[in-house]
Amino acid sequence: MTATPVRPILRAQGIVKRFGKFTAVQDVNLSVAPNTIHSVIGPNGAGKTTLFHTLTGTLPATAGTIEFDGVDVTALADHQRVRHGIARSFQVTSLFPSLDVRENLRLAVQGVHRLAAADGWLPPTGPRARRELVDEILERMGLTRVGGLPAGTLSHGQQRRLEVGMALAARPKAIFLDEPTSGMGVDDIGGMKALIHGLRGDHTVVLIEHNMGIVMDISDTITVMQQGRVLVEGKPEDIRNDARVRTAYLGNMITGGAA
Amino acid sequence: MQAIKDNHQWLMALAVVLAMPLLIDSGSLASEVLIYALAVLGCNLLLGFTGLLSFGQGIFFGVGSYTLGNLLVRLDLPLAAALPLTVLAGVVSAVLVGWLAIRQRNVYFALLTLAMAQMFYFLAYTMTDLTGGDNGLLGVPRPPLSILGVELLSLESPWQFYRFVALCFLVAFWLLQRVTTSVFGRTLLAIRDNEARAAAVGYDVHGLKLAVFALSGGVTALAGGLLAMMAGIAPLSSIEYHSSEMILVMTIIGGTSNLFASLLGAGFYVLSADWLSFIWPRWLLLLGVLLMLVSLYMQRGLWGVLESLWRLLRGRRGAAPDATQPEQRP
Amino acid sequence: MNVYLLQVVNGIGIGMLYFLLAVGMSIIFGLLRFVNFAHGAFYLLGAYFCYQAIEWGLDFWLALAIVPLAVGFVGWALERAVLRHVYDKAHEFHILLTVGLALIIQEGVIMVWGPIGENVAPPDVLKGVVMWGAFIYPKYRLFVILFTAVIAAGLWWLLEGTRLGSAVRAGSESTDMVSLLGLNVTQIFSLTFGLGVATAALAGVLAAPIRGAEPFMGLEALGIAFVVVVVGGMGRFSGALVGGLLIGIVQSLMSTLWPQGAQLMIYVAMGAVLLLRPHGLLGRG
Repeated sequence: MTATPVRPILRAQGIVKRFGKFTAVQDVNLSVAPNTIHSVIGPNGAGKTTLFHTLTGTLPATAGTIEFDGVDVTALADHQRVRHGIARSFQVTSLFPSLDVRENLRLAVQGVHRLAAADGWLPPTGPRARRELVDEILERMGLTRVGGLPAGTLSHGQQRRLEVGMALAARPKAIFLDEPTSGMGVDDIGGMKALIHGLRGDHTVVLIEHNMGIVMDISDTITVMQQGRVLVEGKPEDIRNDARVRTAYLGNMITGGAA
Repeated sequence: MQAIKDNHQWLMALAVVLAMPLLIDSGSLASEVLIYALAVLGCNLLLGFTGLLSFGQGIFFGVGSYTLGNLLVRLDLPLAAALPLTVLAGVVSAVLVGWLAIRQRNVYFALLTLAMAQMFYFLAYTMTDLTGGDNGLLGVPRPPLSILGVELLSLESPWQFYRFVALCFLVAFWLLQRVTTSVFGRTLLAIRDNEARAAAVGYDVHGLKLAVFALSGGVTALAGGLLAMMAGIAPLSSIEYHSSEMILVMTIIGGTSNLFASLLGAGFYVLSADWLSFIWPRWLLLLGVLLMLVSLYMQRGLWGVLESLWRLLRGRRGAAPDATQPEQRP
Repeated sequence: MNVYLLQVVNGIGIGMLYFLLAVGMSIIFGLLRFVNFAHGAFYLLGAYFCYQAIEWGLDFWLALAIVPLAVGFVGWALERAVLRHVYDKAHEFHILLTVGLALIIQEGVIMVWGPIGENVAPPDVLKGVVMWGAFIYPKYRLFVILFTAVIAAGLWWLLEGTRLGSAVRAGSESTDMVSLLGLNVTQIFSLTFGLGVATAALAGVLAAPIRGAEPFMGLEALGIAFVVVVVGGMGRFSGALVGGLLIGIVQSLMSTLWPQGAQLMIYVAMGAVLLLRPHGLLGRG
């Protein structure tokens, strides 16, 4: 691998997020290189999810700038950032429970196109059903069998996979995954880990994860947060051995794990 | 065959429209059913399809009544011009109300619509030049439908008026059926299910909500205008809280899962009111009991009851049609 | 006597009644997350039960004590038997259920007492006016102000100083925590609903000698309750008090300055608060 500096696909500078008197994120800088897996870790309450919210536009940042793929997206809301190539999954499963899995994905695929939803005349049949892409994602997430079931009836593991699938459906440049394996059983986790690792070729992945087995094994860069600030950033080996990180985590969860 | 399947809701509505003259004596009563059905459709677009609980439908209903009344009485416009303008007035007022109301969600949204409904009521009460205040706008005529001076349809007798109302209703229903099964309509369902997710996936939720408000306002104003023509008066009561409340009640009683249910809800309420109030002036008490029963045991409304009966009779042959669930396409 | 001062004092009196009316709804919403569209109907019952009690020869004071308790009991029973079954359903069913209940109560009242409305006389000892220098004011209205102040203090003590009150306040933040602490959440819910309804009925009893008992006063009261609860802040005792007084005084003053505008103003206030500060003037931001 050459050491040629590559322009980061995401550059966030001076991000601050306040809720009334409480500052959840304080002066965070984040640079994410394209086609890498960049993990954000930290103890609970570190501000990771809040940071995600500001990066994806779910919440507006109180201060700071965010540049994505050369475009200043700071003032854009989440639904606008999707068009620029940002997609996300949520920490707490957030699907369309009464609609079936295929429909969930179709909506996600359609959502990228600016005025797609403005069609008040034609039903989502034919080209508008986006069959190919939906089928592809169902296949990739192992959900083909349950395609016709309401999303709310899926098992937790299946729902978590659909969460990721929803993000992929937007064919994004960068995918933000917030604890994708949360609550998943051991068997499912392995599959998810392989999947995320495989996304690297076509996408940039920004990942919040508590499972250090995954973080240490697949990340290219790790940013450690604590109490709203960046504590340290670097490659997995560096983070593993960093004293400050050990202290932050009370030392016992960051050694990485099998597979 | 697919065409029948796709339009089965409209065909059911057509059946009801054709059946009413055979089953009901009064043309005015039959018209009233369809008029309120239009208003309930407007409310259901918001509630059943988008998950927006609006206490403000009376606003658009009243706007429709007053606008048509004024256009016919003051400006003496032909009906063919006045009616579209009335729908437009409904759209504009709904966009205004919606723009403010959707700034909040859930209970706060509902209460905002309630507050605005009350505000409009008092505005209507005081702007007596436009509304006639407490007395209402009197002397609303029922001109024949004519284009370029050629009379197409006389609306004089109750049943002649019913034909016209039925026409408006069927056209509106068909359009709404198209809209609710369209890409736009399906996106509304997503918003209803999970707004945050809809936004995260790329949809301009505010814009879409405004659009559905516009539709709802237009349809409801049409209803209000038709009522004014039928009664000869644009009454203050159509913009009163009670009116908003009853439209909402009809919507929930009928069932929020599809458009035909709205016709059921309106029909049930209007016909019961007419029949029961004749027998017992305190019939609203029975309505109260029904509302409680529906909330406790029949959340899918009258449509749900009919659906269950149908399934019972047919011996449980798979899922029954529900317009708010996407159909399985082969 | 200065007409504005008179209106302000009237406003305080009305405001205190509004507080009583709204505090129940506020607490019910705060704890049960339930918007009670039947709240006005219980106010209505309070007024009519008071009327009937007096017709039966009961003392006003006795009615004042018994009627709120009776209506509160009805509320408590209703919560246990009926209302709790819709908590887990969509909001529109909470609303539909209580709208239905309100209709039943209202029509029931008309069936029993007729559509016209009745007058209720204040007790003899409170008839007439109080004269204090240039200050002339009806005795009964003064009594209402003082009495509701005492009740307000009592309610405040109940909420701040007792276990039940703490449970209610804690429950408004998190019902899970409350049940984890070993308190019987369902019982607390029922008691809270009963209490909320009793205060509405009390407001009705107190209002009866001022404006009589009339079948549609419930609807009017419901509208006011919403405004006060929204303006003051949902789920907050202090919100109901401040909101009630504010709305009462504004309404009173407006009725001399611009009568038609009075009603409009309070709903504009409600709308403004919902848009700008939805948690209310005193609510959690």
